[in-house]
Amino acid sequence: MTVVDETAVPVAVATARPAGRRANVMGYGFVAVYALLMLVFGLLPVLYAGYLGFTDDTGRFAGLANFTRVAGDFRFWPAVSHVALYLLVWLVALVVLVTALAIVVHAIRIRWLGGALRLVFYLPGALAGASSVLLWLFVLDPTASPVRPLLRLLGFDSFVQVVVPGNLPVVFAVIAFWTGAGGWIVIMYGALNNIGAEVIEAARVDGASVVQIAWRIQLPMLRRWISYMCVMSLAAGTQLFVEPQLLAQASNAVVPNDYSLNQLAYQYAFQQNDFNGAAAISLLLLVVALALSAVFVTRGGLFEKG
Amino acid sequence: MDPAVTGGKARDRVRGLRHLLAALGGAGILTLALAGCGGGDTGATTGSYGFPQAAQDDKAAITVWVDADRTKAADAFKKAHPEVAVQVVTYDGSANGSNSFRTKIQLFDRTGSGWPDVVFSTQNNDAAWAAQRGNGKQAYAAVLNSGLVPQDTLGKFTAGALNPCTVDGKVYCLRNDLAQAVLWFNKSLFDQFGYRVPATWQEYQALGERVAREHPGYIVGTVGDAWTPEVYFWSSKCQANDITGPKAVTVNTGTPQCRRAAAMLDVLIRNGTTPNVSVFAPEFVTRYSGKVLMMPGPAWYAGAIFNNPQSLKVPAGQLGVAPPPAWPGEDAVTGNVGGGTWFVSSHSKNLKAAEAFVEFATTADDYQVAVAPGYPAYGPAAQKWVTKQESSGYYATDLQPVVTAGASIWSGWGSGIFSQEAIWAKTMTPAIAGGKSLVDLLPAWQTAIKNQARVDGYTVT
Amino acid sequence: MAAQHTRSPAGRLSGVSGWSGRAMVAVVLAVFVVFFAVPIVWLLLATTKSARGLSTGNPFTPGGAGDLSANAEQLFGFQDGAVVTWMSHSAMYALGALVVTLVASIPAGYALALTPFRARRLLLVLTLIVMLIPNTALVLPIFLELNAVGLIGSPLSVILPMSFFPFGVYLTYLYFSTSMPRDLLAAARIDGCREIQVFTRIALPLATPIVALVAFFSFVQNWNNFFLPFVMLPSSDGYPMQVGLTSLLASTPAFNPSSAGSQSVQLPALALATVVSVLPVLVVFLVSQRFLVAGMTAGGTKE
Repeated sequence: MTVVDETAVPVAVATARPAGRRANVMGYGFVAVYALLMLVFGLLPVLYAGYLGFTDDTGRFAGLANFTRVAGDFRFWPAVSHVALYLLVWLVALVVLVTALAIVVHAIRIRWLGGALRLVFYLPGALAGASSVLLWLFVLDPTASPVRPLLRLLGFDSFVQVVVPGNLPVVFAVIAFWTGAGGWIVIMYGALNNIGAEVIEAARVDGASVVQIAWRIQLPMLRRWISYMCVMSLAAGTQLFVEPQLLAQASNAVVPNDYSLNQLAYQYAFQQNDFNGAAAISLLLLVVALALSAVFVTRGGLFEKG
Repeated sequence: MDPAVTGGKARDRVRGLRHLLAALGGAGILTLALAGCGGGDTGATTGSYGFPQAAQDDKAAITVWVDADRTKAADAFKKAHPEVAVQVVTYDGSANGSNSFRTKIQLFDRTGSGWPDVVFSTQNNDAAWAAQRGNGKQAYAAVLNSGLVPQDTLGKFTAGALNPCTVDGKVYCLRNDLAQAVLWFNKSLFDQFGYRVPATWQEYQALGERVAREHPGYIVGTVGDAWTPEVYFWSSKCQANDITGPKAVTVNTGTPQCRRAAAMLDVLIRNGTTPNVSVFAPEFVTRYSGKVLMMPGPAWYAGAIFNNPQSLKVPAGQLGVAPPPAWPGEDAVTGNVGGGTWFVSSHSKNLKAAEAFVEFATTADDYQVAVAPGYPAYGPAAQKWVTKQESSGYYATDLQPVVTAGASIWSGWGSGIFSQEAIWAKTMTPAIAGGKSLVDLLPAWQTAIKNQARVDGYTVT
Repeated sequence: MAAQHTRSPAGRLSGVSGWSGRAMVAVVLAVFVVFFAVPIVWLLLATTKSARGLSTGNPFTPGGAGDLSANAEQLFGFQDGAVVTWMSHSAMYALGALVVTLVASIPAGYALALTPFRARRLLLVLTLIVMLIPNTALVLPIFLELNAVGLIGSPLSVILPMSFFPFGVYLTYLYFSTSMPRDLLAAARIDGCREIQVFTRIALPLATPIVALVAFFSFVQNWNNFFLPFVMLPSSDGYPMQVGLTSLLASTPAFNPSSAGSQSVQLPALALATVVSVLPVLVVFLVSQRFLVAGMTAGGTKE
């Protein structure tokens, strides 16, 4: 397999372009399918959700009524705080641990060991969604868990004690970290490889310690990647659904089925038959995701012109 | 964007896509057309059973949704009626108020197809919504007492058994079993310890305190399941679920009736005789096998827990049953825990087979008497069930208390759309696990019930 | 990985001086290796145990082949072989979406990178923005939309939304704009190749790695997708494996008390189901690990 070249993206592509009108038509031809999908599954849903969010069930304009109704729901603010708390725990863990692990793995000089470590960290990524939640149900259930003694040590004798609402942000953060951290570690590792070895060498000759090198040189170089990771994780994390959904099933409803915002939207749509309310929640979640991505596109620099 | 492409080769490339789009559009139109006749109100004839029905086909296979425990009913039906094609799908039975039954039906209402012909629900509150029109579609549940199920059969259900299925005088489901709560006790242990079976809740609590002193490790009940309120609070006439109209409920958990049950449980939870562990949890089996002195609980505990090799596995000749304890100065009333319900889809293309299935599942000896763990809601089957259970020699006492309890379920606890079990599991179970007292939790419980009822469109007082 | 390691005789950690520092780092690493590896190892072992052995035995002693086959029997016997159906659905949805994804995104990425057309910038910006929206965010609106045209419940309701994969387009765009020898394309044009031939004969053969990469990401994401099929396919006839797992979970007495019955699934069988549900992805992961890691670090590092 060829390694993808890691150079800048030159935006001005000047060489040997097809000429004129023909090229224009060609371009449209090539992007037609994708553009259609973009329209149908990228733009239309947003517009349709917008329409539903601002109308009532008879289709009359309702202003902000749906939003105020949703925000007034006794389940809404708890759900917001659940998701926020989970994001906080998870992001802090991600930033600190992923960065540290990437730097440590990068410092390992034994080739096979570094590779093996990266694989071990990365492999859990294969278990995403329902599969990973199921696996963690086992791990968190003191009757079957491979880490039973550890759970007992923490004072958990039963599954219900592990998943009481107070513990859930940490539980979900652990699951998400286990599944997703490896990919980010690999990416950071790759970014660290792009720091010229001579820079590090020079610093070392100047008598900088490993910690100083990490702090002064490697971290600033990683900053953009860290912010990229945060935004992506933040946007994805607001959409929490499958974890609480399966836990609700597995804990005899001790974990409620309206724990997260997305679950609440689902409840609105398919239990209360209130699609306008569901659309309102979806829109709120979407605005958060969009705002984050907009911030990133405009300020993040990953996509800036070379 | 217009996917028109010029250039000969390009056309080849896009031809596949064109096909796809054509298929797409076609599929869309087709589904729309189907949605028009698949079971909406259009094109369906008002049937002889009091609701518009789809064109019938006596050969059509029926899809049956059951929870894991009711797969035996499906197996028994297949054996008895090999001529009917049945597709069995297991789901969670809407247990603990997961509402999966309802959410799925709402989805099918939207798509205009795919409804299962028969659904079993572990809950008693599904008729409340299944009898209503939704999404411009007719009510999911078929009316059963306008000719679909013989009147004779309906008449033989135990009095009151079909109440949770009845909306405005129409019956929308058949009750699987009566889940009346009784007092299960271990006669051998009682004899060994020299205890007397409590007749009142006072005695029950006193005995619990005595057990904690004299035989720590033994238990007199549990509060780990979502149906704790139905066992302890319902039988105490607590006004937590007083459904006063189709969309009206009165909730007052501050009454003395609620407080006395909560105060009793507080004492027993604190002294360790009433653990906060689900009777189905593996840890319950490992920790309390042979340690259950007594346990108030529904009739189906007998088959599902005590006489179940996967669970407590109580040996023959030990398990006894006593009437539910009474509160002093009052007659003993009791609650009931589910005792599931069978629905027939009004959209079914084979109502005959669907009806045959629910009738079989609720009344046939092959299932209700021979296999089912619970006390049948169907009178004749219930008698045979009691006779069979008594003659099995498993029980240490006669089963009369079960029969009596079946007729003494307190009527002040209704079946609304919202699930009391889900509310309890969400607000109370974790709080109990956190060591809070039930008496202190009563206001929070009331708030949670009221909130949930309001969300479901109830007028709350 | 194209990592340039200078072999230093100093040993394993460049510049970590002293045993204490090195030991500490080793301990931290060991803890994380355990954290990441133990659940997977244990899961694989759990499939070879009996239900009893799982809850009472040592967690890390393997069971026996007999128990494994019994678990498999229980799992594949569930609802008359529903698991096989679900797996085939997963494959159908993931592969179907994969094909459409490739057909849609490879040419699009190529055009965005190498042909000027008027809406190019707009499409590029839209791609970047939508790429950062988690795919879960649009599920409910897409449901409402597909519901309006009556597609809910059909395989298309899952395949088509999955086929919209802006990330794949972005990767392709990146690849074509950075590593496509333009002289080659120009030469082909001078030789009188038409645009479409330039793409199919010159660009595509050179783009194998990016096609593989997009295919990988698309496949993994589609295979693991839960929320979309969960909403779009109400009937268990159409479940993919990920959603099927919820049915299995609902029939596991340990997690759903009321499911103790003849059709119930014991914990080891559920563990096996979990393994089965990720097997294809796991295999793909292991096979493509080397080039993947390279691919993941591509397209973004520039100072």
